[in-house]
Parts: sequence; C-alpha cells; structure tokens
Amino acid sequence: MEKDALKQQVKEQIVKFLNLNTVSPADIKDDEPLFGEGLGLDSIDSIELIVMLSREYGINIQDPKEGRKILTSINTMADYIEQHRTK
Amino acid sequence: MYIHQHTCISPQQTNGLIQLEEISISADGKLLAKEPVLEGVPPAMLRRMSKAVRMGIGTGLPLLKNNVADGIIIGTANGGMEDCIIFLNQIVDYEEGLLAPAAFVQSTPNAIAGQLSLITKNRGYNATHVHNGLAFENALLDAQMLISGHSHKSYLVGGVDEISSYNYNIDCLAGWYSKIKTNKHLYTDKTPATIAGEGAAMFIVNGSPVNALAQIKAVSLFHSTDPGTVVGRFKDFIAEWAPVADNTIFLSGENGDLRQTPLYESCEEVFGSAIPVARFKHVTGEYPTASSFALWLACYALKEQNLPPHFYKNEHNLSQVDRIIIYNQYQGMQHSFIFVTQ
Repeated sequence: MEKDALKQQVKEQIVKFLNLNTVSPADIKDDEPLFGEGLGLDSIDSIELIVMLSREYGINIQDPKEGRKILTSINTMADYIEQHRTK
Repeated sequence: MYIHQHTCISPQQTNGLIQLEEISISADGKLLAKEPVLEGVPPAMLRRMSKAVRMGIGTGLPLLKNNVADGIIIGTANGGMEDCIIFLNQIVDYEEGLLAPAAFVQSTPNAIAGQLSLITKNRGYNATHVHNGLAFENALLDAQMLISGHSHKSYLVGGVDEISSYNYNIDCLAGWYSKIKTNKHLYTDKTPATIAGEGAAMFIVNGSPVNALAQIKAVSLFHSTDPGTVVGRFKDFIAEWAPVADNTIFLSGENGDLRQTPLYESCEEVFGSAIPVARFKHVTGEYPTASSFALWLACYALKEQNLPPHFYKNEHNLSQVDRIIIYNQYQGMQHSFIFVTQ
C-alpha cells in the first residue's frame, strides 16, 4: 500500500474507532500531535489506538514508552505500521 | 419526601422551554428522545457516552449545578445497552482477544451515576437500581429511606432508559412492540403491543417542605400477573393514602397494548367517574423507567394546575390540581403506584 493511502486509512480508522463525531479524516494533519495539543486525544484513546493497531495490522505494542513514540502523529503511526504490520 | 427541582429529556419538548401542547409523532413504532446540547461536559467524555448516559448527564447535570446533593440515585433497566452489545460483539469478533475499554466502561448501568459524580466531583452516596420496570421506583424508595433517617439531606434521583436496537428487536419478537403502531392512534388501535420510547427525568428531593414543588406521599411496588391482585393492591393503596378524591388526577400508564389495557381500566373503575384520567405513553412511548416521566408530568401538572387536553382520557371539569395518583406497569408483571400532592 502506498504511504499516502496508508495514512488516509489510519485517519479514517482513528475517526471510527474513537468516535470523533466532529472531526473528519481530512481535518487530521499528518504531522500534528495526536495527544495533548492538536487532536486532543487522552490516555483512554491511547488504549483504543493500541487495540486498533493489534486488530487492524497485527501489531502488538508491549512497551508503553514505545507506544508513546508510535502514537505521536499520523506520520509516526504510518511509519511503524509500514515496518511492522503482520496483516 | 419533597421534590424541589426537576428536569426531563423525552421525545417531546420537555427540556429548557417546555412545550406539551403539540406533540411529536412516532416513526417506525419508536419515539426517540430529543437530546439537548450538553454544556459543561469535556468533548472527550461526550464522544464516548451512549445515549442513555448523555440523557442522564443532560438531566442530572443542571440540577447538580444548582443544588448541593448528598448523593446520586439512578434507576435504569438497561443503562447503555447499545454500547453493551457493541462490547459483546467485539468479544465474539476478536475471539476474546484484546478489547477496547470505552464501550464496556460506558455500557454498565452505573455509568450514568458514575459520570455525574465524576463531572461534578460529587463524592457522596452513589447508587444505581436496575430492577427493570421498577428501577426508578426502587431509586425513589432508596431516597425515601435515606431521607427518613436524615431529613436535611438532599439527593438527586432519576430514571433513565434508551431504546437499544438489540433490546428493541427482542421485544418486537416477543410481541411487546409494534413497528406499525403510532402514538397518534395509540389508544384507539385495539391491538396487542405498543410503541417504544426512551427518556430521562431527574429530581432533587429532600425532607423539607419549604418551597417544594410537590410531595411524594407514598410509593408502592410489586410483582404480579394477576389482575385481581393488582386491583386489590390499588384499592388498599387508595384507602391508606388517598381516600379524598377532590382535585385529583389519576395518571395512567396505559400504553395501547390491548392485553394490558384492562389492568389500567380496572384501576380507573375504582374511582368511578369521580376523578379525571390522564395518560402519557402517547408522548413518551413505553420503556422500563417511564414512571419517572409520569412523576415529572405530575409535578408539571401541580405547578401549572392543569395538563394540555390531549393527556385526558375523557372530558373533565377539573379546575384545580392538588393530588395525582400514578399507576404504571411494565410488561404485565411489574406494577407501581405513586401518590403525589402539592
């Protein structure tokens, strides 16, 4: 899958999994922070995203520190998914 | 026990500016609650909430902001059932593997009282009653017992239930709901089944009569499938609590289900034609905690000293409302009487 197509897919999955009713995938910028500023996600969302990575891409994140880096932005998520996906 | 404030979210305009003269018409056998915009709720919290939780927050939060409550007591038969089914489906779909927490957290019945507590930092008594069609009445009894020991304490008491697609389909298959009935002809369409509804009504209650909107004089609840037992219990209730019939409305939970109408009619006959009968299921639909709407409507009638004409079953010459007797039952099994006065 092309990287841009993967990023678009991840954005759509984030909107769906986190029930972001007021946000469309197009509103999420590739390099903006997902947590705190930017999209404003919180710790419960991080668990939802870890579950999402496991279900959709077969990626199991064990180390919380590693998870924090992976979930920084759409760019970091797409990079990690591209390298580690098993499905 | 005295009611000092109340709020209501229902399929009608009962939140904010109340308008009960014209009513919304049901669609596909359902009356869906009109949700207000929730202010003061963090967006991240809001997007995870099921409709039941949103309705509970929408009714409870304004009361908790304006009153000091010593506890929160909620009655709900199903809580956020829609989210519960989402969670159960995830267990199946992902073969009991890694599960996301939000749907589970929001689906438990006590999520409503819990979220109200978290948002308002109310760390007092927090209880949720889940006795299906008597959940709200049990919440009332809980508050009554707490207040009888400590009359100076105030509590938020409420009833909440949503229409979940899963429960609705099961209830349709069981013959409780009809997809072709409408609230327009609910009482004249002489067939089994009724229409589904949902809503939330909350009350601030305490033991002080000062500036109270209404007094809950008595609550009685029981299980029975025997019509004779229901009428017998009703006669006993009236004899004990409401022997005077002046300026009284009998607020009936009649729901258009041919099988259950005789239960309501036999209680009406206890009064003969002495007091007017009002009905409310054409504005709410049927749901397990619909009696919370009935109590809200009773408070409204006591304040306004009347109800719009469409609520009344027959013509009446009532010019003053001092007392309201509520009878509601759920699925022919769970019955309750509530006596409310000025």
